[in-house]
Amino acid sequence: MRLILTAAAIAALPLTVLAQDDDPIHQAVEARHGFYQMLAINMGTLAGMAKGDIAYDEAAASTAAANIEALTKYNLPSLFIEGSESGKAEDSAAKPDIWANLDDFRAKFAGLGEAATGASEAVKGGAENVGPVVGKLGEACKACHDKYREKS
Amino acid sequence: MAGGPRKIRLWDPLLRGFHWSLAFFVILSWCLGQFGPAKMTLHFWSGYAITGLLIFRLVWGFVGPAPARFSHFLRGPGAIRDYASHMFLRQPSYWPGHNPLGALSVIAMLAVLAAQVTTGLISDPDDYINVGPLAKYVASSTRSTAVGLHELGANLILLLVVLHIAMILFYRYWKHEDLVTPMLTGEKELPEEIARAIGGDRPTPEGERTGR
Repeated sequence: MRLILTAAAIAALPLTVLAQDDDPIHQAVEARHGFYQMLAINMGTLAGMAKGDIAYDEAAASTAAANIEALTKYNLPSLFIEGSESGKAEDSAAKPDIWANLDDFRAKFAGLGEAATGASEAVKGGAENVGPVVGKLGEACKACHDKYREKS
Repeated sequence: MAGGPRKIRLWDPLLRGFHWSLAFFVILSWCLGQFGPAKMTLHFWSGYAITGLLIFRLVWGFVGPAPARFSHFLRGPGAIRDYASHMFLRQPSYWPGHNPLGALSVIAMLAVLAAQVTTGLISDPDDYINVGPLAKYVASSTRSTAVGLHELGANLILLLVVLHIAMILFYRYWKHEDLVTPMLTGEKELPEEIARAIGGDRPTPEGERTGR
């Protein structure tokens, strides 16, 4: 009997893990963080080249910029589902203001898309072409962070 | 000798230069942070200027003339309570320098500004255009915490500046004491007997030379 109970308890363990994985809010927050992480890796490449910390490499710059262009075509605001704001969802840094200003929030993300448009071509031709692209993208990052990201 | 007013030299030229430069750069930094361009290069430079000014004030607090020295104006709780107890009298304090209560404000201002400069230097708001020059030396969680503290600091600074101006107006209109002119000219007018009691200091050319 005890053996069966122990076995059942052990068998049930993954279910609790699964339950969190299945939670759409948890998934959305994780997906957002993954999105920003991908954005950060590519932004890091471009910013490093603009500052001269990383040697300029036209192909690498263009790839990073193309990745950012592609990422901004993803419908990120759709991951900001109800209940995934900071304070409610674990690890979330999304200010509740987002849900009170959804149109503006979407416009901010569209602004990032606009800033990214043509970036993969714009960064070609020399390190000096990377700075202005990083500047435009960074401005779009900041516009949204200032308003909608929780400052821990 | 009659108790006519006598001018004493209070704030030295470097301290006055420090004060008005600090006022200028704090207001500039605050406005650039709040309303400035997204690329905050000017805000950064203004912050570096404040860093330099704070270092000067720290040094001046030990080696400067008496009224500028921390040891001269930092007083114990007794002196603070004593000063606060007749602060609301409708007469000038004639205090030759930072009074014991005002000294706390000086320290608060310097401490908050020093903290603000520090959080600014290590801030990374994840926008790839405004990264504090020392951010790379701290953990990434510290970098983002610093951003939040820097914003809190801006609010504290606003509060302290408003308090500072409110107190100047309080002294001007309630206590009939002008604190601004001494910070501009370096000289404060005190009744003869008070000026003499505090050691007279150097009388200015237009004052009575004989008082020395």
